[in-house]
Amino acid sequence: MLPFSAMLHSEAQAPRRVVPAGSSSLSLLRQAITDVVSRRRLIRYLVQADMKKRGSDTFLGNLWWILDPLLQMLVYVIFIYAIGRKTSNDYPLFIFAALLPWKWFIAAINDATTSVIRQGNLIKGIAFPKLVLPVATATAGTVGFLWGMVPLGGLMLIYHDRISLMLLWIPVIAGVQYVFTLAGAVFVSAANVFFRDLGNAITHLLRLWWFLSPGLFSLAALSEIDFVKHHPIILTIASLNPFATLFAAYRNVIYGTPDGVGKPLPPDLTALAGLLLGSLVFLALTVIFFKRVEPNFAKVL
Amino acid sequence: MTTDVGQSPAATSATRDSSTVSQTIPVSARDDYAIAIDDLGVRYNLRFNRKTTVRQSFANVVLRRPPEQFWALRNVSLRLAHGESLAVIGPNGAGKSTFLQVLAGIMRPSEGFVDVRGQVSGLLGLGLGFDADLSGVENILLGGAFLGFDDARVRELVPQIVEFADLGQFIDAPIKTYSSGMRARLGFSIATAVDPDILLLDEVLAAGDANFRTKSKARVIELVSGAKAVVLVTHDMEWVREYCNRAILLEKGRVILEGRPDEVTELHLQRQAEEAERRRARAAQKGLDPLVAK
Repeated sequence: MLPFSAMLHSEAQAPRRVVPAGSSSLSLLRQAITDVVSRRRLIRYLVQADMKKRGSDTFLGNLWWILDPLLQMLVYVIFIYAIGRKTSNDYPLFIFAALLPWKWFIAAINDATTSVIRQGNLIKGIAFPKLVLPVATATAGTVGFLWGMVPLGGLMLIYHDRISLMLLWIPVIAGVQYVFTLAGAVFVSAANVFFRDLGNAITHLLRLWWFLSPGLFSLAALSEIDFVKHHPIILTIASLNPFATLFAAYRNVIYGTPDGVGKPLPPDLTALAGLLLGSLVFLALTVIFFKRVEPNFAKVL
Repeated sequence: MTTDVGQSPAATSATRDSSTVSQTIPVSARDDYAIAIDDLGVRYNLRFNRKTTVRQSFANVVLRRPPEQFWALRNVSLRLAHGESLAVIGPNGAGKSTFLQVLAGIMRPSEGFVDVRGQVSGLLGLGLGFDADLSGVENILLGGAFLGFDDARVRELVPQIVEFADLGQFIDAPIKTYSSGMRARLGFSIATAVDPDILLLDEVLAAGDANFRTKSKARVIELVSGAKAVVLVTHDMEWVREYCNRAILLEKGRVILEGRPDEVTELHLQRQAEEAERRRARAAQKGLDPLVAK
């Protein structure tokens, strides 16, 4: 007798499962929710595996999480200084408040791009809801953001006059960003199955997006430029950027008013609520797209 | 009994997918079958493959190239009753693996109807879903989660899985330190830890060393005798004749013959011999051509 006597066995005769076609957008959405909820344990294992891998791979391990945003901030500060722009003493904090969430976003999107295609053999060998892959990747990405709180804390000690209870808003803003990131992650993970050069395009698209977003500058500074004054449409478009809302929110609570004079204040909750709503709609659309193309993954991979 | 395990996601999706093609069941509900397949077809769209790029697709649209299609399976119909064991044989690229993928719910049929009753377990590859940085035990949990097994049950089964895979103290080391044989053994042990109603096997019997092969073969025979239905893809004709009571021969996605294992294997071997003969003749002809030209 081989050792597997206590097996999992479905005693009841499996019922006939003739489910209605289930290809309407609403039922796809419902399926997607079932996918994620029923496989939450799998998602947790995948997230844990991801965290473990990142911490143990390199010589400095988790220290990179702390050093990386600081070094990048340093690069930008030196760059801005080198091109001769006058900046205030607290410019590092100004940049850092935007850099930290941005790094989280691009890391999550970049990881999500390959989250489905790198599991090709798995997808061809086991039937499981593929949606867990981008969801796990995007969720694991939040760990980088959490680590970023360490250097942020360090910076805040230098600019200790900015420490306030407003910092408690960060999880709320991050929650909105998570929904937006998840939607993007779900989309790129599926699209990359069909267009393998999407990863390259996304890298450049993200870089362009960063420089067009008010990360190194503020929308207030943008509105001072003469050209923008004459073409106010530019300002309108710039403020429609989700990261304009997010960066402004992070800056409000970490840095204070864009001019650096005022103390930290609560984020613009109306704008955040609008962004949350928009992100949820975006998420629903990308999930429906994902579920529509999901049956073809095994054929294409 | 836990519902997570009893409800096979594979079977559900196969049924759901096929119902997009055909809403009604073309057989009487009293028909006692384990697997029903009617006029199954799986079409590949060659416009998208693993090398497709945005640039190419754009060119295709601009140049109005028609989408190329390829039927991996076509007009396959079959009933498998409880207790039957079916062998699927055929040359490479005949659609054997696609056939198993459809039954496992991995591939959606492009046309036709498929109904798989019961919990499906597929051995379509060993060690799928393993993470090289995780330990053996962590990979058992991860692999079990991918297969859709209930987590609490997998945790209960861990000692048995470890014992069967015979990994010793390696079980807490990262998988990347394992030999390929150890990895295959662990994969086999996880995938066969659960007795399925319907077992799908894709030539995975050659796992590990001779010792483990004997052990795994014994386990497969045990599963075959316990399962309500077995579908097996193999090139081992001995196995087909010994353990299957039915066989189908697939070539280029079409069923050439369905019937008793000895008949079907005989036809397959005969056709393979003919094919080899033709290839030799062609090669000889090509070899001759330059001489003739002279």
